[in-house]
Amino acid sequence: MSARPLRVVGRPVPRVDALEKVTGRARYVTDLIVPGMAHAKVLRSPYAHARVRRVDVRRARALPGVFAALAGADLTWCDPYYGPAYRDRPVLAIDVVRYEGEPVAAVAAVDEATAEAALELIDVDYEPLAAAMTLEAALAPGAPLVHAGQPPAGHFADLSTLRPEPGTNICHRFDFARGDAEAALAAADVVVEDAYRFPSVQHVAMEPHAVLAAWDETSALTLWASTQNPYSVRVELAKMFDVPLARIRVVVPHLGGGFGSKTYAKLEPLAATLARAAGRPVRLAASIPEAFQTVRRCASRVAVRVGFRRDGTLLAVECDADYDVGAYADIGPRVVQKGTYTATGPYRVAHVRLAARAVYTNTTPGGAFRGFGVPQLAWALESLFDVAAERLGRDPVDLRRQNFLAHGEEFAPGDTPIDGKLEESLGRAAEAIGWSQTGAADRGRGVAAMLKASVAPSVSEAIVRLHTDGSVTVLASAVEMGQGTRTVLAQITAEVLSVALDRVTVVQPDTAVTPYDQTTSSSRSTAMTGRAVQVAAEDVREQLLDIAARSLGIATRDLALADGAIVSPGRRLTYAEALVARFGMSGGELIGRGVIAPGRTAAPLGGSTPFWEMAVGAAEVSVDRETGAVRVERYVSVADVGRAINPLSLEGQDEGGVVQGLGHTLLEEMLYADGHLLNGTLLVYRIPRADDAPAELECRFVENADGSGPFGAKGAGEGSLIPVSPAVANALARLTGVRLRDLPLTPERVWRALRSSQRTDAR
Amino acid sequence: MKLQVIVNGRAHELEIDAHALLLDVLRDGLGLKGAKRSCDAQVCGACTVLVDGLAVSACTYLAIEADGREVLTVEGLAEGESLHPLQRAFIDAGAVQCGFCTSGMLLTARAMLAENARPTRADVLHYLRGSLCRCTGYRKIVDAVMAVAETPR
Amino acid sequence: MLRPFTLHRPATAEAACALLAELGEDAAVYAGGTELLLLMKLGLLRPRHLVDIKRIGELSDITDGPRLAIGAAVTHRTVERSPLVQTRCPLVGSVACHVANVRVRNVGTVGGNLAFADPHSDLATLFLTLDAVVELVSPRGRRELPLAEFVRGPWETTRSADELLVSVRLAPWPRESAAAYVKFGVHERPTLAVAVMLSLDVGRAAGGEGRIVGARLAVGCVGPRPIRVPAAEAALTGASPATVEEAARAAGDAAAAVIDAADDLYGSADYKRDMVAVFVRRAVRIAAARARGVEPAEQFPHAVVA
Repeated sequence: MSARPLRVVGRPVPRVDALEKVTGRARYVTDLIVPGMAHAKVLRSPYAHARVRRVDVRRARALPGVFAALAGADLTWCDPYYGPAYRDRPVLAIDVVRYEGEPVAAVAAVDEATAEAALELIDVDYEPLAAAMTLEAALAPGAPLVHAGQPPAGHFADLSTLRPEPGTNICHRFDFARGDAEAALAAADVVVEDAYRFPSVQHVAMEPHAVLAAWDETSALTLWASTQNPYSVRVELAKMFDVPLARIRVVVPHLGGGFGSKTYAKLEPLAATLARAAGRPVRLAASIPEAFQTVRRCASRVAVRVGFRRDGTLLAVECDADYDVGAYADIGPRVVQKGTYTATGPYRVAHVRLAARAVYTNTTPGGAFRGFGVPQLAWALESLFDVAAERLGRDPVDLRRQNFLAHGEEFAPGDTPIDGKLEESLGRAAEAIGWSQTGAADRGRGVAAMLKASVAPSVSEAIVRLHTDGSVTVLASAVEMGQGTRTVLAQITAEVLSVALDRVTVVQPDTAVTPYDQTTSSSRSTAMTGRAVQVAAEDVREQLLDIAARSLGIATRDLALADGAIVSPGRRLTYAEALVARFGMSGGELIGRGVIAPGRTAAPLGGSTPFWEMAVGAAEVSVDRETGAVRVERYVSVADVGRAINPLSLEGQDEGGVVQGLGHTLLEEMLYADGHLLNGTLLVYRIPRADDAPAELECRFVENADGSGPFGAKGAGEGSLIPVSPAVANALARLTGVRLRDLPLTPERVWRALRSSQRTDAR
Repeated sequence: MKLQVIVNGRAHELEIDAHALLLDVLRDGLGLKGAKRSCDAQVCGACTVLVDGLAVSACTYLAIEADGREVLTVEGLAEGESLHPLQRAFIDAGAVQCGFCTSGMLLTARAMLAENARPTRADVLHYLRGSLCRCTGYRKIVDAVMAVAETPR
Repeated sequence: MLRPFTLHRPATAEAACALLAELGEDAAVYAGGTELLLLMKLGLLRPRHLVDIKRIGELSDITDGPRLAIGAAVTHRTVERSPLVQTRCPLVGSVACHVANVRVRNVGTVGGNLAFADPHSDLATLFLTLDAVVELVSPRGRRELPLAEFVRGPWETTRSADELLVSVRLAPWPRESAAAYVKFGVHERPTLAVAVMLSLDVGRAAGGEGRIVGARLAVGCVGPRPIRVPAAEAALTGASPATVEEAARAAGDAAAAVIDAADDLYGSADYKRDMVAVFVRRAVRIAAARARGVEPAEQFPHAVVA
């Protein structure tokens, strides 16, 4: 098949779901109505750590209109513990609460008002315990233990190597070494080290978590859930209720944002439990403050030491990272493991010692959030890189370029070689920000680069069905959470089968209908699910070519697909005609299947990344020196994506990633005092507004078609966020001479640092 | 209490409680799901509807206040199958991602353009200060509004 | 979601007060509801009766006179767009335009803003520089008192439970004056707000020097309630265009010295004090520029200039 210009892939076509979203017709979980649906409310712990002596729900249960009122002690008929890494998290607290906001009891009632009133009738006796609220407190000798004993492994076989350390708050350790870092640092000409802090932040998807659960008369369970991985939720529930996977159905309508907050089971176990107890469907919808009590990003303290030779060669990296994963492990251990794996960033370095710990604290559980541990590490390494550049007397762009991994170079033995050209991203970003030109005196510029692996091993399967009228249905379980995956999958299908985009329908993920997809996260949906869809569509194409070959008596190599038909010079068989030829009647369909499952390899994390996500960010900032307020005047993001299937939606995603990154860089931090979260509402938790976006914001792409995904695509969506904080801090340092190590760079923090530097006048 | 309200051009008469919130009456009473409950505190704008042309946070607005008034929700922006220029612009500019903030953004922009048909970018940012989005970074939303604002009509 | 209540809609202020007297703590005054309904949703207030004052004519008017009277039920939006306000107290209109967000401005009222005494209120800060007086009515009759005596502390006023705020009356500034309002803060509610009015001797053309003959300066949002700063006002009085920069600095320091700031989510006390000094200086500079007929273009990150 000769290369032909692409018709729809690579085009900035409007999203296939835009119309329903701009007309208010798009359906999210809380828009759904199931007859007889009850409404659930959750009673949550006011304490960060307490023994639960007694939970009395009898008065709540007796309130007219209440269908079920449950406490942890009632959950005798299911396995009440869940969690992807460790099954350490109870559906409702059992004997102890481990964070403020932990669900203690829950009610399902005829309406929300009744459910609220019922909550007020629940009596709980707490015996407050000392709480470990910070990394330091949790790691101190004699610290209060968040968990006693060792929880069973979670449901990911590849995570079964994770082990907590009993008797401590250490949930998991990840260590990695190559060469002899200590010796290399001792021999290095320039060594710089420092420690950097990344705050707890919340995803603040505009739609908080929501689930609608319904058991049917055959004791099969259906859930409509705002989740990024329906198959993971399904496994969790199957285990909990000892029900075969085939009898649990998870349906995913539109998500009002995810960003990682909706990966792995969150409220689904509780909704399903309530629905079972209530004997009717139950809708459980969280509020934004409840989202703050459900999941957040893992905060971190990362100490890095890097050694360079005089000529700028990076010789060694040592990294000690502690992550605060909150009261329950969620996917925290994997965040730590996977993030630390790329702690050395996009650089070639022979000697490495990495040590990371996931630490329990009595706070909201930390889980997945766009970047998955890498923002925390890039904040440290990319900041320190600039410090090293200064010490070496080198331009930071130049020093990075010198040490970048090259296209095709090995990152780690057994893992995929680097599949992109970092120097191209860097060059374009530097040029776009005007790096080599003298800037305005009141502006500073900084850059940062990132490298991230995607989850491996992983599995994506897809089915493509061609109907008798030539229209196509795509069955895949990549979740549409705003990133545009439905459109991308439709474009890929339309391209392969040469049909108009509006002839392709991508149905919502539904585990009863759409085949297995591991997760919508890790920037993987285009490369993995998209590839599965591509293979499935190619399967249909092959079937069409075979049918046409037989029908027309022409060799398949002389046939092509064009505009809904199989063609050859002077001959044309429409798809409709092809199906009639195949089935001998007006009926039937062609079904294509794609399975992408690269499997386990010898790579350090058990699988080779399907692609490397790599990107560069460049920031130009100004600072109001009297107040410390930093303004990002210009920002350029360049991501190496292989092929932008939809450049318009990809640009939008990266613009969003940059602005979301500005959130944790300048504005966002979950603040605790005396065990209480002080700012878990949007009145006092400040996410970026329209006027916080940089006046000049450019998101660009390097497209060398060098990925293993469809049409040479790789992954994207996290690379735009990760470099933001170090790029901004580097720009600020170059402007003011002041280096900050703790995020967010609030006006007060910057003000204090400027003052302190004025006083000491030393760095 | 009796509520007589015109919603998207259609008259309705409903029996409601004094404490009913406009957002719930629209979503549950009238089945208009376009306005969303997000922050529930008037900060984010996802619940925005227009009452006599003025943007309000339906999540914190008594339904009875709409008595005798006209309410516009996102479902009322288009005329039949003919999209409002703002809806068209949002699609074309790529200003929609997850869509949860979209109806609020559209209605707020519509209210703004009714007051100021030729806003500057700064005017748009001022008006959208209370409309939050976590997906788009706002740039394409502002572009879309400016595209409509700058189109001669 | 709100708990049930009875909605009362009296047609007169007297009827409203009678209801408040009868229902006592079970009742809350309701106008725009932007503060009240939020507190009710959070369960922090649970009134079983709401007394809706929007049908009371005199509460919805803006009336001219020796003082400009803004009815308690007038929305921020109406203030923003009122030609009368624009003529008599133009800065009030400009500040109203920046309260919260557009939806809150469309529905929220001046009276509600003052009566809730939110420590982060823009308007209360500005009104102190306009010699604001609030008018209250109760079954015992009407009374007036200065705004500074009305707002006692955070969320606390001297209004009795059976009293209704009817209007706030503002004394417009002299013709020969220049003013500025600046608020600063990262969060939804500002960290601090400064309102300054400089009254000037007759302009140059008439033989005057443009000297500051009087000043009003209020700082709000940072302490438990907004305050005037007499020491800062004294520092400004007598300054000429040549010495105004120095006077601004002195005024800033004076304001920072008297501010009752505490560490909280909006910042540490020392940061807030320093920012008060910074923004007093800046507000004075802006007002001084306006006194010379120049409109400064300067914008500061996280600050709004009116």
